[in-house]
Amino acid sequence: MAEVKYLSEHYDKKEYRSLEGYKKHGGYEQLPKALKMEAAKIIDEVKAAGLRGRGGAGFPCGMKWGFLPNNGEPRYLLCNADESEPGTFKDRVMMERAPHQLIEGMLIAAFAVKSHKAYIYIRGEYTGPAMILKQALAEAKAAGYIGKNILGSGFDCDIDLFIGAGAYICGEETGLISSLEGYKGQPKLKPPFPAVQGYLRKPTIVNNVETLASVVNIIRDGAQAYRKYGTEKSPGTKLFSISGNVNKPGTYEVPLGYKLMDLINNECGGMKPGRSLKAVIPGGSSAPVLTAKECENASMDYECIASLGSMLGSGAVIVIDDSNCMVDVLSTISHFYHHESCGQCTPCREGTGWVEKIIHSIVHGHGKAGDVDLLIKVADNMKGRTICALADAAALPVTSFVTKFRGEFEYFVANRKSMVKPNGANLGDAHVH
Amino acid sequence: MFKLSAEGLNYVQSELTRYETKQSAIIRCLYRAQDENGGWVSNDVINALSEAMAIPAPQIEEVATFYTMFNRKPVGKYHIQVCCTLTCGMMGGRELLALMMKEAGVKEMGEVSKDGLFTFSKVECLGSCDTAPMLQINREPYTENLTFEKGLKLVQDLRTKGGKLESQISKEL
Amino acid sequence: MSTNTIPCTINGKDVEVKEGSTIIEAMKANGVEIAHYCWHPGLSVAGVCRMCMVEIEGNPRLQIACNTQVVKGMKINNTSDKVKDAVKWTLDFHLINHPLDCPICDQAGECGLQDQYMHYGKYEPEMAEAKVKKHKVVDLGPRVVLDSERCILCSRCVRFTDEVSKTNELGIFNRGDRADISTFPGKPLDNNYSMNTVDICPVGALTSKDFRFRQRAWLLKEHQTVCTGCSTGCSTKVFFNKEGLFRVKPVYNEQVNGHWMCDIGRDVYKFVNKEARLFDAKVSGKGTGAGNGLGAEWILPKRAALKVGETLRANKGKGVALVLTGQHTVEEYDALLGFFKNDLGSDRVFHWVNTVGGGPESLEAFDGLLLRGDRNPNTAGLKESLQKFGIKTQWKELLEGLASGAITTVVVAGPENQTFFPDFKAKVVELSKAPRLIWLTAGKNLDLDNLTGDVTLIPLKSYLEKSGTFVNHAGLRQKIAKGLTIVPNALSLTEVAELFAGREIEAAESCSSIGVGRVQNEATTVRGSL
Repeated sequence: MAEVKYLSEHYDKKEYRSLEGYKKHGGYEQLPKALKMEAAKIIDEVKAAGLRGRGGAGFPCGMKWGFLPNNGEPRYLLCNADESEPGTFKDRVMMERAPHQLIEGMLIAAFAVKSHKAYIYIRGEYTGPAMILKQALAEAKAAGYIGKNILGSGFDCDIDLFIGAGAYICGEETGLISSLEGYKGQPKLKPPFPAVQGYLRKPTIVNNVETLASVVNIIRDGAQAYRKYGTEKSPGTKLFSISGNVNKPGTYEVPLGYKLMDLINNECGGMKPGRSLKAVIPGGSSAPVLTAKECENASMDYECIASLGSMLGSGAVIVIDDSNCMVDVLSTISHFYHHESCGQCTPCREGTGWVEKIIHSIVHGHGKAGDVDLLIKVADNMKGRTICALADAAALPVTSFVTKFRGEFEYFVANRKSMVKPNGANLGDAHVH
Repeated sequence: MFKLSAEGLNYVQSELTRYETKQSAIIRCLYRAQDENGGWVSNDVINALSEAMAIPAPQIEEVATFYTMFNRKPVGKYHIQVCCTLTCGMMGGRELLALMMKEAGVKEMGEVSKDGLFTFSKVECLGSCDTAPMLQINREPYTENLTFEKGLKLVQDLRTKGGKLESQISKEL
Repeated sequence: MSTNTIPCTINGKDVEVKEGSTIIEAMKANGVEIAHYCWHPGLSVAGVCRMCMVEIEGNPRLQIACNTQVVKGMKINNTSDKVKDAVKWTLDFHLINHPLDCPICDQAGECGLQDQYMHYGKYEPEMAEAKVKKHKVVDLGPRVVLDSERCILCSRCVRFTDEVSKTNELGIFNRGDRADISTFPGKPLDNNYSMNTVDICPVGALTSKDFRFRQRAWLLKEHQTVCTGCSTGCSTKVFFNKEGLFRVKPVYNEQVNGHWMCDIGRDVYKFVNKEARLFDAKVSGKGTGAGNGLGAEWILPKRAALKVGETLRANKGKGVALVLTGQHTVEEYDALLGFFKNDLGSDRVFHWVNTVGGGPESLEAFDGLLLRGDRNPNTAGLKESLQKFGIKTQWKELLEGLASGAITTVVVAGPENQTFFPDFKAKVVELSKAPRLIWLTAGKNLDLDNLTGDVTLIPLKSYLEKSGTFVNHAGLRQKIAKGLTIVPNALSLTEVAELFAGREIEAAESCSSIGVGRVQNEATTVRGSL
């Protein structure tokens, strides 16, 4: 097995960004086909393909679509392009290189779930991709793919772009909805779930960019052909964002189930000269870290990574070599979650700050005996106690870093310096104060 | 006292009806007003929007203080936002930020340099980890694959330019 | 909501709960204790404090009781070790950045954090890092002060101003543990319901400027009553001790005020306190034998009333008129009207209508929530009694009678709350044209004091010192009970009627007295001012 350019077949062609270029390579051929299908048949096809949400949770996409109630209320389709999980950048690549693929996927999805209004919620910092999407939406509108009576089918659908303004939590689907409604991006209580009461309390589907773009190929090739890639439970291909201490970081599309070490050694050109693998975060900053040993036989599918106690998440692979101090790496992660906690639920609001302060103390040589155990205790008591998963996302790396690299943490506390970077320069956020 | 330009007021009016509810226009209108106010959101900006949008000021303030891309304090002409999370942290983002701040002559984050050109912020993951370390100036497309040398040169080049950005991206979006 | 019930089990006990209720509602209805800060029955569900954790059989994950509906047969508990440990930790998260300044905090003694600490806490704190510093003594508006460090961000106050008062003054600004409740500069928390935010604040973050630093909560007794601030008749309780009354809070009443009351109603305790009251009867002018209006005699109210009654009866009610306001109880109206109509045979009874905001139409005003233009607790009761006694007079007949000399004696059952009678001064002038004036009043008043002629002032009991009935604007009859004694010798109108008729009255029933042994201090002298 090697890299498969299934979704990303034409991503290397600059013309693919434009409507004309997209059409030249088979673009907008699946939309008319879908418009002639029964909406329910499209949902069945997506179900049969086993497409799982590519945003992080991996929830079966067709099943999500099936949750919509038949109550005659207007339905909304929201594309989650608030890609903010540290380590993740594949949606940005997709939007920059193939905006029309996303739009076509959204239109098919909107038709399938009978939605006439869709939004792309893009994170505020992504102004480059937003400009490209804005242009693409205008082109698609002018060509009659978006708007009233699309391609004479009688189906109406409008797609608008909504630009965020800097908040990780808006990637959580109900946080995204709050933000789209014009409020702080604070997640909402569930139940009700968005499929029943989402945007403006109307039935709403929120899907990730990659998930929606994948729908185009499922319609083109059919569920069976789609399943040619990947594993039984994790079918299809996935775009992985690989960063960190490898020679060729970037976005790579491989079938689910691809060996992690192959991804690192083949696609990414291996580790930097003279360095060895220390750890890998396999699914974005919230995924528990894997040790080099655990990586040996890891394959990149939902089941295998889960069996290792971690998560495939958004497919963000952060490769960490032996030059890194794990206490320091965790300090940037914990700073992130403290900074991004929306602040509504007490365990998360207070816990993320507490965790960061303890790690901050350790990194600055003020660690106390008992701090390492306290970190685990605080993290454990944040998990599963809040409205959304941010508290869990903040707690999981703490537990895994501290448990798997406990020696480094204890060394730091006892010796007031890093085991790996003993001269202590530029650890934590020292320069900030 | 801040006042939206006539063009800005028109913009606000059109955004108010763009979405299903007028609340949804708050973010866009804040961007617009922030631009018109030299890059930051003052209390007057909130009051002006509250009046133009007929939305209570505390609701706008909640949005303005929740999202990081609104500056509630004045910033320099170049608001340099250096990513320091995880990969960027591992790849030298923090050291880069410190070096660039020193070059620009500012001691604290959020401070405006004496020449009025620079403000630095440490920001969280910008979604460009394969090009770490990287940064964003104002709302411009990213500046990526940085080294310490490139970072220093960037400050020097911007200083020579004296506060002019070529792109009009914030007007477009 | 349906009135059907469904069976479920709470802490091992089988109970029936209203279909559609949440677990927390079911627990409250069954008297089960459950910790909570953000949930409030009068507000939307926020689900953010995470204190109301419960274990539901078959669900490995703890759920919050405020956002989970009870389903048939559900087995719920909040006493297992798993729940207790979770609540203990959530409490600890609430406390790590809390200043723990209970000794100087007004909420001490009635604080949710203290209460739950006694249940779930009692541990050594593990947080050794520096606490988050936030704003203190923030002036939110004319009546409320904020201490942000004590705030647990439960959002009750913000939801109140969004959902109930709909005034939107408050917001939670910034995010994470930097989040802060505040108003926007130049837009203070200034609405007639602002003090409810103090009541619903589960901690000492929002405190009342009026009550701040005056008393410790545990030194106060409570007495439940009905607000006399307007014709809505909200259920309230007053807090008092030997030094006087200190505050008024609402009591839940589904039919009248729900959970709330208005800020105007919060001030009604001020005219009841000792500083504002008339203590003894004052008799001046010819009738007293104290000299031609040059001196006055202070006598026991009971004696004064007996004396007035003697004269009224001797003259067989000739030339006598009675003026009533909507500020007394139905029982009092009936007693006094009984004496005038039956004993004296007089029909000259007049209703002094007060208007706060202008003409008579202002009586019908309503702010949409609780406050009504008719600032009397019992206008409806008065009208009812007047009708019962067949009295159909108009105010101008009183003026005509005074002008022609047909009316020579006026007995006024004056308002308890003079601030709601903007025409008070004018009426004193108008009515003092009567050769003989008998003014029954709870509060002292300079205009009355300065009257010369033949004037008798008799102190009345306030609404807290007597029992009776008020009829609110909607015709709802609400009982008030005697709760305390402030002016020991003051009389109710019922007692006045008995004494007028020449009958002795029974000794006052024993009750908490705040008049006796009271210690004057700096705080209490300031308190009486309106």
